Amino acid sequence: MAKRIALVEDEAAIRENYAAAFAREGYDVDAYDAREPALQAFDARLPDLVVIDINLRDDVEGGFELCRELRSRAADLPIIFLTARDSEFDAVSGLRLGADDYLTKDISLPHLMARVAALFRRLDALQAPQSSSNRIVRGDLEIDADRMTISWQSQAVGLTLTEFWLVHAMARYPGHVKNRQQLMDAAQAVLDDNTITSHIKRIRKKFAVIDSEFDRIETVYGMGYRWLDTA
Amino acid sequence: MNLKRQLLIVSLLTLVLPWAGCQFIAETESALRSSQQQMLSGTATAIADSLSQYRILFPQPVDAVNEQLYAHSLATAPSIDGYFDDWALTTDSLRQLRGTDGPIRFALGIHGASLYLYADIPDDSIVYSAPGTIALENSSHYSDRLTLISVGPDKTNRFVFGAEAPGPIVAAYVRDSFGFAPDTRMPAYWRDYPGGYRIEARVPLSRLGSDLGVVVSNTSDPLIRPINSLSYGTGDPGRLASISKQLQTIVTGLAQPGLRLTLTDANGWRIATAGDLAQTPAAKGAASAWMRVAYEALIESGEDGERAAPDASGREQQPYVNRALTGDATSGWFRDFEDGRAIVAVAQPVIADSEVIGAVIVQQGTEAILSLTNERLTNLMYTTVGVTLLVAITLLGYATWLSRRIRRLSQAAEQAVDTEDLRRSLPSALDGDEVGDLSRSFGHVLGQLGEYNEYLRTLASKLSHELRTPLTIVSSSLDNLEHEPLSDAASEYTARAKDGAARLRRILTAMSEASRVEELMRNAEFSNFDLAAVIASATAAYRDIYPLRQFEILGDDNDVTTHGSPELLIQMLDKIVNNAVDFSADGDTISVRVQDDSTQAKLAIHNPGPELPEKMRGRLFDSMVSVRQGDDAEHLGLGLYVSRLIAEGHGGAIAADNVNDGVEITVTLPRSEAALVERGT
Repeated sequence: MAKRIALVEDEAAIRENYAAAFAREGYDVDAYDAREPALQAFDARLPDLVVIDINLRDDVEGGFELCRELRSRAADLPIIFLTARDSEFDAVSGLRLGADDYLTKDISLPHLMARVAALFRRLDALQAPQSSSNRIVRGDLEIDADRMTISWQSQAVGLTLTEFWLVHAMARYPGHVKNRQQLMDAAQAVLDDNTITSHIKRIRKKFAVIDSEFDRIETVYGMGYRWLDTA
Repeated sequence: MNLKRQLLIVSLLTLVLPWAGCQFIAETESALRSSQQQMLSGTATAIADSLSQYRILFPQPVDAVNEQLYAHSLATAPSIDGYFDDWALTTDSLRQLRGTDGPIRFALGIHGASLYLYADIPDDSIVYSAPGTIALENSSHYSDRLTLISVGPDKTNRFVFGAEAPGPIVAAYVRDSFGFAPDTRMPAYWRDYPGGYRIEARVPLSRLGSDLGVVVSNTSDPLIRPINSLSYGTGDPGRLASISKQLQTIVTGLAQPGLRLTLTDANGWRIATAGDLAQTPAAKGAASAWMRVAYEALIESGEDGERAAPDASGREQQPYVNRALTGDATSGWFRDFEDGRAIVAVAQPVIADSEVIGAVIVQQGTEAILSLTNERLTNLMYTTVGVTLLVAITLLGYATWLSRRIRRLSQAAEQAVDTEDLRRSLPSALDGDEVGDLSRSFGHVLGQLGEYNEYLRTLASKLSHELRTPLTIVSSSLDNLEHEPLSDAASEYTARAKDGAARLRRILTAMSEASRVEELMRNAEFSNFDLAAVIASATAAYRDIYPLRQFEILGDDNDVTTHGSPELLIQMLDKIVNNAVDFSADGDTISVRVQDDSTQAKLAIHNPGPELPEKMRGRLFDSMVSVRQGDDAEHLGLGLYVSRLIAEGHGGAIAADNVNDGVEITVTLPRSEAALVERGT
C-alpha cells in the first residue's frame, strides 16, 4: 500500500509541483492550502508523513500550530517543515516543536524526495527488528545507519535528518576533513556557510547534553570539519 | 563671526538710549533756557523803557572811547600807603599804559567825594625831584613824576605827584607855567620798589572837571627832559566815566532778587549796577571730567562763565552788549564748567529819541535748570551704563547659552551620523523655540535617514525572502519537467533554465547572508582563542583553494589570544581573501599579517592590484556597494558588508587603504580583559 503524504502549502503552484513529484514517486498525496481543512482531514485519517509550510496565507504561524497539533496526536509521525523562512530562530522553533526536519524551499525536488524516502526508511527500520548489519561504532559513538539514530556513551542523541547525515559523513572516516561541499552532498541539501556552522553548533550542543566534555567534532578553519577518533 | 560676537554688536544698539536721553535733556534744557531768556528780555525791555526818560542823566556818547578813563566805584576807602591790596578791585581792573621802562598800570576809583589814584610805574632809575622843582615844566632839574590832568568846562588843572624822597607826599597844584603849590587836600604816597615805584593818591572830586587824564613822566637823568606816557591820545583827555549816582539810585529801585542789572552808557561804560545773581551753592556733582565731556558734547556749551561777570575794566565789551549798543536786543548764554554755574544774560538798548543812549544788561543764574539737567544727565549716564552693561551681559549669556545649544545639537547630529545611531534623542528636542524646531527636524531627518539605512540594510534579505517563493515555483517546475518526455532541444533549455535558477538561488543566499550573520552574531558564543593559529590554519586552506596565488603570513609567531567567534572571523577572512584574490593577478602574493598590540589584535590582508577609488573608501563596507565592474553578476557588494558586520560585532573595526601598489584591508579587534589576564598568567 502506498504511503500517504499530506502536503500543507498555500502557494498553489508549489503545492501542485510537489504533489506531482510525490505522486510520481508513488506516494498518495493529499494537498491542503490551509490549516483548518488539513486538520479536518487528519481527524478522519492520519497520513504517513506531513510536509508543512509555516506561513499559511494570513496564518503567519499556522505551520507551527499544525505541527504542535499533529505531534500531540502522533508521536512518531514524521513531520517536515518546508518553508521560505530561513532564520535560525524559526528553524530552532520548528525543530523544538518536534519536527523531524526543517528545510528551506531552496531544496531541490530530488533532494526533497531523498529525504522523504529516508524518513520512510527510518520509519520502516524502527518497526523492523534491530539488525547489526549497518552499524558503525567509533568508541563512544554508535551509528545505526538504517534507523538513522546515533547514540553517544549508549545514550541516544536526538538528531534531525540533516544532522544525522552530517555526523554520519564525518564519523565514517574519522580524521578526514569534510569540506563544505562534501557535507552538503552528504546532507542532500544546499547549505551555505552559516547554515553549516549552525548545524555543527547544534550537533555539538546535543552531544554536550550527554557529555559535557564532548570535543570530537573539530573545526579545521578555512577547510571544514572532522571527526576525531579516540586519541 | 560667531553668534556671541554678533549679539554683542547688537547690544551696542543700547547706546542709542543715552543718545536719545541726551537729546531729550538737551531739548528740555534749551526750552527752559529760552523761556528764561524771554522772561529776562521782557524785564530788560521794561527797564530800558523806564530808563529812557532819564536821558539827561546818561553821559553823552564819546567818539574816542580809548581816551576815556573809568573810575571804579569803591566800597571802602583805600588808605593812602602805596599798596593796591586794599582797593577791593582785582589787578585786572588796572589799566595799562605804555611806559619807557615797561607797562605802567594804574587805576582810578571813587569813594565818597574823593577820587583815588593808584599807579604802578616801572622805572629803571628813579630820579627824585630837587626841592622846589617838583611841578616845574622847565627846570634845570628834571625828575620822575605823575600828573593828573583835569579838564573842566572852563579850566584845565594839573596835579603833579613827584617826590624828593619816597614816602608820603602831596600833590602839587600847578597854577601857571611858573608856579605851583603843594595841596595838602591831595595826599599821596610814593613807594619805591626795585625796578620802579608806586603812587597812591586821593583827590577831592570837587577839584576835578568832567574829563581826566594821566601823564607819567620818566627820565633817567635830571638833565634830560623826561619822556611822557599819556593815558589819552594826541588830543585832550576823555570824559571820566564812572557810576552815576542818580542812575544808580534809579536802577537800584528796579532791581529784583536774583537778577543782576547793569546799565552802561552808549560807550559801554558801566554807569550803574544793582542786584546780584542768586548765590546758590554750586551745582553738585558737576566736577567729574566725563560729565564735562558729556555736557560739551550734548548741551549747547555757551560762553565761558567768567565773561558774564562785570568787566573789570569798567567797560562792558561782550559781543551781545556791543550789539545792544548798536540798537538790537540780544542775549547771551554763559556757563562755568568749573562750578557748574550758568548764566542767562539779556542786553537791551536804552533808546531815547531813536538814539541809543545806553544798554541795560540783565543777568540771571540758571542754577535750577542746570542742576535739573545735571541730575538728569548723571542719572541718565548711570542708568545707561547700567542698562548697557546689563543688556550686554544678558545678551552675552544668552548668546553663550544659545550657541552652546546649537553646538551641542550639531555635535549630537554629527555624532549620530558618524556612529549611525540615528535614533538617539537630540538635545533641545523638547524646547518650544526655533532651536527646538531645528532639533526636531534634525531628529526627523536623522530618523528618516535611519529608516532609509535600515531599509537598505534589510532590502537584500527582504528581497531574497520575497523572491524565494517564485524561485521555488520555477525550480520545482523545472525539476518536474525533467521527468516529462522532452525533445533534446527542450532538455537543453530545461538544463539552462535550471542553471539560471541555481545561480539565482546563490544570489538570494548571498543576499540573505547579512541578516543571517547578524542573527548568528547575536547568538554567537564568544570564547578566547589564538587568532594567529586560526589564521595560520585558514591560510593553509587558502593555498589549496586558490592555487594561483601565493599566500604569506607575516607578523608575530606568538599566540594572539582574542575573544570572539573563530567561525565568524574565518567567515570574515574568507570574504576578505576572496576579495583580495579577485583583485589580484595570477602569481601575486597575498600577505596576511597578524599583529598583537596588547590592547588590540590587528589583522591586515594585503593584495597587489588596482587602488581603491578615493570616493569609495568610506562606503566600501556598506551594503550593496561594490567597486567591481562588468559582468560579475553574483557579486552584490555584500561580502565586505558581511565582513564589517562581523568585525563590528566583535567590537572591532574594519578599514581599507591603498598600500604599496595594492589594497590593504585592516581589521582591528579589541582583546577582552579576560584574554589579557589569561595571557598574563
